[in-house]
Amino acid sequence: MKNINFTCPFCSLLCDDVQLEIKKNSFKPVNSGCSLLVSSLKKKINDQFSRVNGKKTNISEAITELSLMIKESKSTLFTGMATDIKGTKAALNIIDKYKCIVDHFSGDSYSKNLKSMQETGGFFLTLSELKNRADTIIIFQSTGEELPRLFEKYIFPKKTINNLKKRKVIFIGTKVPKFFYKNKKIINFEFIKLDSINLLNFLSSIRNSINFETKEAKDKRILYLLDILKKTNYGSILWNASEFQNDISDVIINEINLLIQDLNKFTRFSGLSLSASDHVLTVNEVLLWQTGFPIRTSFANGFPTHDTNQFSTKKLIDNKEIDLVVWINSFNEKSIVINKKIKNVLIGIPSHPQKNNVDIFIPVGTPGLDHNSHLLRVDKVVSMPLKKIRNISLPSVDQILNKVKEGVTDDN
Amino acid sequence: MIIKLENARIYDPINKINGKVKDLYIKNQYIVDKPKSGEKISKKINLKNKIIMAGGIDIHSHIAGGKVNLARLLLPEEHREHLYPSSENLRSGSGLGTCSSFHIGYKYAKLGYCAVFEPAVLPSNARSAIIEMSDIPFVDKGTYTVLSNDDFLLNLIQKKISQKKINDYVAWILNSTKGLGIKIVNPGGINAFKFNQRALDLDEKNKKYGITPRSILKVLTKSLIDLKAPHPIHVHGCNLGVPGNVNTTIKQIKAVEGKPMHLTHIQYHSYDNKGDRKFSSGASLLAENINKQKNITCDVGQIMFGQTVTASADTMSQYKNHHFARPKKWICADIECDAGCGIVPFEYQDKNFVNSLQWAIGLELFLLIKDPWRIYLTTDHPNGAAFTAYPKLIKLLMDKSFRDGEFEKINKEAQKSSVLGNLKREYSLYDIAILTRAGPAKVLGLTNIGHLGIGAKANITVYNNKEDKEEMFENPFMVFKDGNLIVKNGKIQKVFNGKFYTAETDFDKKIEKEISSYFQKYMGRGMESFKIKNQELWDYGIETENIKCDRNDY
Ligand code: SF4
Ligand SMILES: [Zn+2]
Repeated sequence: MKNINFTCPFCSLLCDDVQLEIKKNSFKPVNSGCSLLVSSLKKKINDQFSRVNGKKTNISEAITELSLMIKESKSTLFTGMATDIKGTKAALNIIDKYKCIVDHFSGDSYSKNLKSMQETGGFFLTLSELKNRADTIIIFQSTGEELPRLFEKYIFPKKTINNLKKRKVIFIGTKVPKFFYKNKKIINFEFIKLDSINLLNFLSSIRNSINFETKEAKDKRILYLLDILKKTNYGSILWNASEFQNDISDVIINEINLLIQDLNKFTRFSGLSLSASDHVLTVNEVLLWQTGFPIRTSFANGFPTHDTNQFSTKKLIDNKEIDLVVWINSFNEKSIVINKKIKNVLIGIPSHPQKNNVDIFIPVGTPGLDHNSHLLRVDKVVSMPLKKIRNISLPSVDQILNKVKEGVTDDN
Repeated sequence: MIIKLENARIYDPINKINGKVKDLYIKNQYIVDKPKSGEKISKKINLKNKIIMAGGIDIHSHIAGGKVNLARLLLPEEHREHLYPSSENLRSGSGLGTCSSFHIGYKYAKLGYCAVFEPAVLPSNARSAIIEMSDIPFVDKGTYTVLSNDDFLLNLIQKKISQKKINDYVAWILNSTKGLGIKIVNPGGINAFKFNQRALDLDEKNKKYGITPRSILKVLTKSLIDLKAPHPIHVHGCNLGVPGNVNTTIKQIKAVEGKPMHLTHIQYHSYDNKGDRKFSSGASLLAENINKQKNITCDVGQIMFGQTVTASADTMSQYKNHHFARPKKWICADIECDAGCGIVPFEYQDKNFVNSLQWAIGLELFLLIKDPWRIYLTTDHPNGAAFTAYPKLIKLLMDKSFRDGEFEKINKEAQKSSVLGNLKREYSLYDIAILTRAGPAKVLGLTNIGHLGIGAKANITVYNNKEDKEEMFENPFMVFKDGNLIVKNGKIQKVFNGKFYTAETDFDKKIEKEISSYFQKYMGRGMESFKIKNQELWDYGIETENIKCDRNDY
């Protein structure tokens, strides 16, 4: 038994302060109770066979099958895409060459952020700025469950460069994060209860007051918040696209980005989007640099075509606009949509419950457990190096996909 | 295998060869001496009437990193306008100013460039920027790490810590981020903007630390000299884009008291505030100063008319400029207690007074600064224009009648306030070889590129000798990289990656104790995961070329 330092791959905070107690190939965190970390490490691996039509087979056969399928497919979608930099690179190598489409598990919510960025831009910050600079933090409807230690490490930290003893934390939304109640005795925060629709109106009124100094009678809460905004030296605003009411979330996000831009006319403010689940940001960054476009891009024309509506996983699968879908998930057991009228492939962790329900299943390891890796943090600026700590011969996504590509190219 | 390139006219300023017809021999990626009789020459290429220069070197071009990706994200319309299909051996891609990585490599190769340096890598973003750069094929690469606004350094300077310790920190940063050089960006200003200061002049104090840009500039300039770093301090000064800033720039030159300093994109720092519009050219004034001060080198950051996007770590200036955004959208960010970034799309218009004058100021600088060894050709890609505009820029420098014709087309008021029409100088091919090869290699402290002498990398560009210099430089006849033919008649041959230059330097390891505790307390991650390890680069197939810090001409 020994303890090792561990950089955790299970969310986009990529905490590198975790110590694990290691016994053979089982691991127990000794200095963190992060629920996501604990549950992720508990996954039992009963077998690590590949499967074709639910039947166990060896990995090279499964790879050959997949190569064949891609070759025969008229239109392939790569989605899920829960992988690291190398995995994304390997996938894009195939996607570009064989004219496929790429989306991600978080496509629906993340594309709302994308749209707002593409229309208005924004003013952003990174985690250490959040931790050290902000004297006011406003959180719009984010429970923080996707980033379990965000509050502990960055919003209520013990030490900051700028000695922010009286940091104001304001939560605006419907459901206060559990962390706040649990730590009620040691932290201060304020809560303004608003659902998505009211939030939208609220944001618009605040923007109006800032930009036009309207004098109309105002909601007390608006006056209160305006007062705080004016007293702020450096504020930041956090939100999570997936937690707003879906049909208006893009408008809300746009208003938030505009509000932040407005606030900078007289004080300093910046924002951080918290939608980062399944490492969508890592995948998106690689896509941007390699192709010039974010997720939801098709290469069917031989060059990239990006459209957040047209290339949605759900739409492509429901309408059978593709004949093959390759799901990639090297982190967790998130369930995948299976339409039996098209071919379904899953490249996933060996404990995935749907491994028998797809045409091909290929087991892979998890970055930072089974191989060295790089992932991007929620702020997109910092990338973290992750190290292999487990030795159970699970291949990485890029190893599998590079072989698949060789297979497709070989018999050409 | 020995390849002989016969009968070309050669321009190789480092070896003082000015248009002589001479043969070149390539063996194992390098240029070699004439083989002894008996040694077999495997291939002879007759290049009669062709012109040869070493592979081009771009000393300052924003080709990777978070800011470039943010710009890509912000501007899908630009990318939709410039789409590149995949082919047998090439990847698909898109974009012009913020072109996707593979195509940055393809395009530079097609222009005969063999080395490009990304000049604004933030320490916190270095790892992903370098991984991103591993997808830019062909060219050798390197980065300058941005310092001058990080809270750790400003705190050291505030506490009047010894120069020795600051040198340790700078060396540690170079090592940990795998930089070749250090870049100053608006010293102290990016940090001051985080405390809501909207401007910071050379002698103004940063609100939080009470120190001035001048003190930061002096300390870091000295640091690189003490470390014998390959490249002197690379400076994007205070007051970028502000009318009247030429005075600040001149004060900055004085501030380093004769020590070597590279001033980047000086076009943006050469504005005077005379005339009705309170905006005029400060080029003559600055050129006069640079001509006198032999310690100063510079690159221009020429603007060319058309749509582009500006991307900079200078949040303070970029925020100010967001009013000019076209299309109307912009991104800024405060980054990881080390710097920031700002993305503002921009359209330079030849009918606009300010833009026209910016264009003229850049050219005035090129023509008024006399020593071609101290001025380098850049557009600050993509800030002034995409690097693909270089051939046209070269024509503007080499061909006075063409230049006069273009000058006629710009805003009339701008014409009146520029001396450009009176400048008769025309650059020669030899001068261009200095501006785009020899000069940058020299100031970067790289001895195996930028020339065609024995032992140099066989990075060779063969041009058709054409009257129209834009056509000539746009479409080299052949390009060799490390002895491999990579482009022939505009067509890419074989794809591979160049090397990655880093500076190799030593420091007192004691500094790590302090840095480590700073990371532990404030940064939300440990120092170890900040430091980029060689193994990480090797994992992406990146081959480094480590340049020893032993420069002895400072
Ligand atoms: S917060 Fe995220 S990265 Fe940190 S330990 Fe929990 S799951 Fe891992
Ligand atoms: Zn620049």
